[in-house]
Amino acid sequence: MKPVMPAGAGKPAGAGKAASIWRIVLGTAGVALLGYGLLGLPTQLGPPQLLGLLVWMAVAVLLHDGVIVPVSTLAGGGLTRLGSGLRPASGAVLRGGLMTGAVVTVIAGILLKAQSVARNTSALEGDYATNLLWFWAVLAAVVAVLVYGIERTGMRPGESRQKTRP
Amino acid sequence: MEKLTNALAARFASPTRSTRLTVVLGRWLGLSFTICFLTGLFSHGLQEPPSWMFFPTTPVWIYQLTQGIHVTTGIAAIPLLLAKLWSVYPELLKWPPVKSAAHALERASIALFIASSLLQLTTGLINTYKWYPWPFPFRQTHFWLAWVIWGSLLLHIAVKLPLIMQHWRSRPSVRPQVAAGADSPAPLIDDGGAPPMPGGWSRRAFLAAVGVTTGAVVLTTAGQSFSWLDPLNLFAPRKMGTGPQAVPVNRTAADAKVADLALAEDWTLTVSHQDTRRILTLAELQALPQHEHELPIACVEGWSQTATWRGVRIRDLVAAVGAPPSSSLRVTSLEPEGVYRTMDMPAGYAQDERTLVALELNGQTLDLDHGYPARIIAPGRPGVLQTKWLHTVEVR
Repeated sequence: MKPVMPAGAGKPAGAGKAASIWRIVLGTAGVALLGYGLLGLPTQLGPPQLLGLLVWMAVAVLLHDGVIVPVSTLAGGGLTRLGSGLRPASGAVLRGGLMTGAVVTVIAGILLKAQSVARNTSALEGDYATNLLWFWAVLAAVVAVLVYGIERTGMRPGESRQKTRP
Repeated sequence: MEKLTNALAARFASPTRSTRLTVVLGRWLGLSFTICFLTGLFSHGLQEPPSWMFFPTTPVWIYQLTQGIHVTTGIAAIPLLLAKLWSVYPELLKWPPVKSAAHALERASIALFIASSLLQLTTGLINTYKWYPWPFPFRQTHFWLAWVIWGSLLLHIAVKLPLIMQHWRSRPSVRPQVAAGADSPAPLIDDGGAPPMPGGWSRRAFLAAVGVTTGAVVLTTAGQSFSWLDPLNLFAPRKMGTGPQAVPVNRTAADAKVADLALAEDWTLTVSHQDTRRILTLAELQALPQHEHELPIACVEGWSQTATWRGVRIRDLVAAVGAPPSSSLRVTSLEPEGVYRTMDMPAGYAQDERTLVALELNGQTLDLDHGYPARIIAPGRPGVLQTKWLHTVEVR
């Protein structure tokens, strides 16, 4: 049994040295810029605003790690079962379509929420709910056509048309 | 606890995840963050210029382009960030969470990177809707967090450089012959071309889906910045060709509480330089040589609109009060309050023949919401600095 090769193994010594220099340069620059940003924040934000910022950052992470990823994992699991009778390429199109629709819906959802609370009447004048319905209609149609085409032609991912011929 | 995290990690496991996937997504995300950072710095420099700042007036659409790219790339980064974080999600569930002081520092820096990136993109998007539900000032926070994020990005690249170099190029499939333990780096698998498990998808299919999703959010929003994408503009807060005189408005006369002053029959524009002062009525301004230019108005929130502006060259007014052409200006609006009530104009803009005290827009007298009776329009400047409802011009 061969062990997994460590990072940089088999590379010339010069390449390894260059990588080390790059790591030091990037790391130093990164820490400097990061520190500049962190030190700059309190120069323009008061303690209550900094606390508010920390709370919003924590909520953003909790929402992402605790809601968005688990929900998308559940959805992915459901699609695995739903698409098990389909060809892998059809399953991929189905998943891709759902991913696109979900992200666009999240963005449109925030837009609709902003529209409901906005005080400025010169922005957010579109009929975004109708636009979203149209978007889903077109997306569903495209996915349906692609899945139908894949199932009819029997093409599998990684197989070119030439390969499927006898 | 380790059993619990292992069980959770198994629940969230996906054969689609690999170090190669993370590296490819990281490249896309790193590029988009870098574009956002640089275009954002340019915009910030135009608004709060350091002593060395340069002020390009050619091409006239320079700010329209850079800020359109800034906002559009920020929106594109949303699906890229979500995909990148998904690709490394099992790292969150590793046990023990901290193995050494260096490991603790690395995890802390990544936590800061992730938290600030999620917040930056979310608040940046919502800012374009002119909605501010958070308890901190947007502009200052956005600026400083940008440094935190880009610094964190460089640090993250430095820490992960060996893995990034190892997986920079796609390689033929190599199955690991020793199972990777909890402490091992990700296995050296490149199964992008391999058939996925039934109902699942390959890395390349996943990347294609992320690309399509990114394309979808870009195509349905970028029409607010780029006219050729206007027909696909479904989800941007602004649409080209809307608003009075077919130009969107960011701050109305009602919002600025300026209508009575702007519509007053005795309105005048005062232009001064040291002891010289000229007070011009609207009729006197209209009697001066008029010039017409096609110029975009481009907002920091990303929307823009090119229009035909007609009025008096600002450099003619500078000459009228006997000031040298290299003078800078301080322009004051009739607005009783607001951050942008006064605006400083560097000499580069004041000298440009296309910088106008505009009296007309698209062939008609300026609408009240566009700054009647007179406003500034200059090439390549952020919209908030195109002062409306002029009151005074101080030549300095």
